[in-house]
Amino acid sequence: MSAPEPTHPLAACATPGRHGAPGDAPLRVTLPRRDMVQVMARRGREDALAEAARAAFGLALPPAGQAAAAPDATAVWIQPGHWLFAAPRGMEGALAARAAAAFAGLAAVADQSHGRTTIAVSGPAARRVLARGCRLDLHPRAFGPGRAAATQIAHVGCLIHQTDEAPVFELTVFATLAEPFFHWLMEAGAQDGVLIE
Amino acid sequence: MLRIPCPHCGARDEAEFSYRGDATVTRPGADGDIAAFHDYLYTRTNPRGWQVEWWQHAAGCRAFLKVLRHTVTHEIRAVVTATGTLEVPPA
Ligand SMILES: [Zn+2]
Repeated sequence: MSAPEPTHPLAACATPGRHGAPGDAPLRVTLPRRDMVQVMARRGREDALAEAARAAFGLALPPAGQAAAAPDATAVWIQPGHWLFAAPRGMEGALAARAAAAFAGLAAVADQSHGRTTIAVSGPAARRVLARGCRLDLHPRAFGPGRAAATQIAHVGCLIHQTDEAPVFELTVFATLAEPFFHWLMEAGAQDGVLIE
Repeated sequence: MLRIPCPHCGARDEAEFSYRGDATVTRPGADGDIAAFHDYLYTRTNPRGWQVEWWQHAAGCRAFLKVLRHTVTHEIRAVVTATGTLEVPPA
């Protein structure tokens, strides 16, 4: 007997469709399903870890404030010596097992797949909507594709990762705080309109 | 609102940080007497002027940072990581 697919943390409130004001440029919201693991380098093993990440995932561990993408995984710098690896949701625990095998002796690996969830927002309204609660300057002169930052939005710790010029921002929050965060997002987006896909 | 330049993240609002007090006190050794531990816990110089303080970038990179702040003007002159050292300018 296999484990049931876990319920999405936003299943109760993210109703697909149009919300808020009408208009032709709504904030687009999608809920990508990801596995996520936190990778924490052991002291003095950062160089070996970077080499292992290159060999096992085909990506260069990004420096502070940045993210790196490979065809089947991304790594986002979250704090000194720590990265959040993400991949499309697969078999339960598979990403953590893959990371633990690749980084044995070099880093500790903690599965965050159930602990955090990602909300992707995009479209011309995205910067304007985020600016209603985000203290960071997301203007292209200050932020851009491949940039990432941990901050607080509406009192909820949030990892912001811009993946595309469009722009697309991926907002990763703790799953238990995803609902209040999502309610803030709906409020902030109401005057532009929100399209949940 | 203070703006604190985190060595890892860049300038961020004070709201992302939590203040952790005087960064100049050092913990007595295991053989320290009760008076030494009392001073370590409670006795502070509370300067009017420059002070080296702990601030944790709690909502960002989570690093503990040493911050040189003027207690009257709130000017922040330097920030280093926890193992760094900061010279305290005169008054
Ligand atoms: Zn920081």
